[in-house]
Amino acid sequence: MLEDKLLVLKCRRGSRDAMCRIYEKYKDYLLTLAKGLLSEQDAAEDVVHDVFVRFARSAGQFQLTGSLKGYLATCVSNLARDKIRARTRQAEALDSVNPIISCSDNPEQRVIEKEELTRLRQAISQIPYEQREAVMLHLKGEMKFREIAKLQGVSVSTIHGRYRYGLDKLRSLLNSEVEK
Amino acid sequence: MRPAENIKKLIKNLHDTTSAQMDERVLGDVLRALDESEKTSAATKPNIRRQIMKSPITKLAAAAVIIVGVVLSVTIWDKTTSTAYALEQTIQASHSIRYLHIKSFMVSISDEPIECWVEFDPSGQIKNMRINKPAWMTPTDGETVIIWKDGKMKFWIKKKNFLFIQKDQEIAAQVLSMVEQLDPKHAVANILQAQDEVDTKVEIDEPENKAEPIIITATSLVENDLPFQRAILFVDQATKLLNSVELHQLKDGEYIPLSTVEFYDYDIPIDSKVFTLDDVPSDVMRVDQTTQEIGLLQGDLTDNEIAVEVVRQFFEALIARDYAKAGRLFGGVPAERIQKKYGRIRLIRIVSIGKPVLNPLTTELKVPYVVEIEENGVITEWKTKYNYIPVRQVHGQPGRWATTGGLLGI
Repeated sequence: MLEDKLLVLKCRRGSRDAMCRIYEKYKDYLLTLAKGLLSEQDAAEDVVHDVFVRFARSAGQFQLTGSLKGYLATCVSNLARDKIRARTRQAEALDSVNPIISCSDNPEQRVIEKEELTRLRQAISQIPYEQREAVMLHLKGEMKFREIAKLQGVSVSTIHGRYRYGLDKLRSLLNSEVEK
Repeated sequence: MRPAENIKKLIKNLHDTTSAQMDERVLGDVLRALDESEKTSAATKPNIRRQIMKSPITKLAAAAVIIVGVVLSVTIWDKTTSTAYALEQTIQASHSIRYLHIKSFMVSISDEPIECWVEFDPSGQIKNMRINKPAWMTPTDGETVIIWKDGKMKFWIKKKNFLFIQKDQEIAAQVLSMVEQLDPKHAVANILQAQDEVDTKVEIDEPENKAEPIIITATSLVENDLPFQRAILFVDQATKLLNSVELHQLKDGEYIPLSTVEFYDYDIPIDSKVFTLDDVPSDVMRVDQTTQEIGLLQGDLTDNEIAVEVVRQFFEALIARDYAKAGRLFGGVPAERIQKKYGRIRLIRIVSIGKPVLNPLTTELKVPYVVEIEENGVITEWKTKYNYIPVRQVHGQPGRWATTGGLLGI
């Protein structure tokens, strides 16, 4: 946490090194989160891009009141939701988005993307977005239920419910995959 | 039925990595945006220093705002009736410092400090650095000296008589970042920053006796999970430089000393020998990854394929008793050390090399294997106690892969 605050302070002074360090530190985490929310590599990359560019634009006046990781995760969530809404406006049903298993050209990525994880990603993409958001932000984003509730503008118990239903749905989807 | 716990674990273990193309695209746009932000900010930024001087009452609070860069929920309790000291003075006094000697004590663990010598360049960045890590920090390695100079990081592990040199920027940044936390330019800011999420009380005690230090006590007013709940800074009244910082942990209603950082020899030039390793024994095992190419170039191979290839060529080199090649594949270990380790056995043939498995914690690929060896006239199948050889990308040598496991144990 100390390192983050120092880095933010340096960014306020225009330090390119500090900005690069923040990017290096959180890029994979944010990409994983974005990909979990959007199920599309390109869209996830765009969201991470936009989050960092917006952060850089506001660096001079940026005031960090919590953790930088949490702040960036919240930004990813907000932008991901915007993208999902845009898709909805384009009459594209949220839950029918075809998940792209992996179009990463990173060789290491191909190693990591094992069969089980691929099935998991497909299953995540099939649960309703609000449930997906609760599951991903809590488990991968390491956000507390009350933080997610605040973000989504609903009660904590609603988030609890979405999280629980999301996990149940995932379990059901993954089990049906196994049984096929 | 797949338990929910398994699914939770799988989700937590999801990991995507950005591609080089994405990094290039994002960083290019981000740095441009940062530059634009800097220009805009410089044009619109008010003269904060003038604002501070306008109001003696808000002087300390405003100084704190400058230092931490955020508006803190800090209560300033000034014990003296007319305080001349402002936290900003310590930052300013520290800015021109070029040389510094730091001792950091973990009070509850050992009397032996972590010692650090730092030379800053005119812009305030770390130019040269030496850390003496006492044995209690890493008992398996023992006492270790780390030196940063000319863009290279040197690790001398005395107990193992092992000198490792590399220039990986990521590792260097991590070590330098740790040292930066001790830099008195940032010490005041860091301590206050660490507590900006909670209500914090800051007391400044400026004794009339100028020989005594100014004492700044920052105490968290609410429960938190920070490693410390109280920080006490001792500032020299004459120079406004930090003498020391004490961190305390709240335990059972009492503040227990946790660690102390002491600052010595401000601006006293450090002998250049401090940043060299002249006292390394002549028979030290020297692995210099900055002067030789380590391992194999990945080329078009996948990660799994290159990992298997590294292991295969390593064993073939041992079969041919080409210890120099085996050493290059083994992180750059000298041929004589490889011979010392493996010369006592005759490696006959490779029985099998299995499919690599990713270790998500270290990002190494664990390559299982079985080889046939002859030792003391007896032929057996042989494998290490973990049944695999770890292979990973070489630090600071993009696209190259080598074995790493057992490197320090050779």
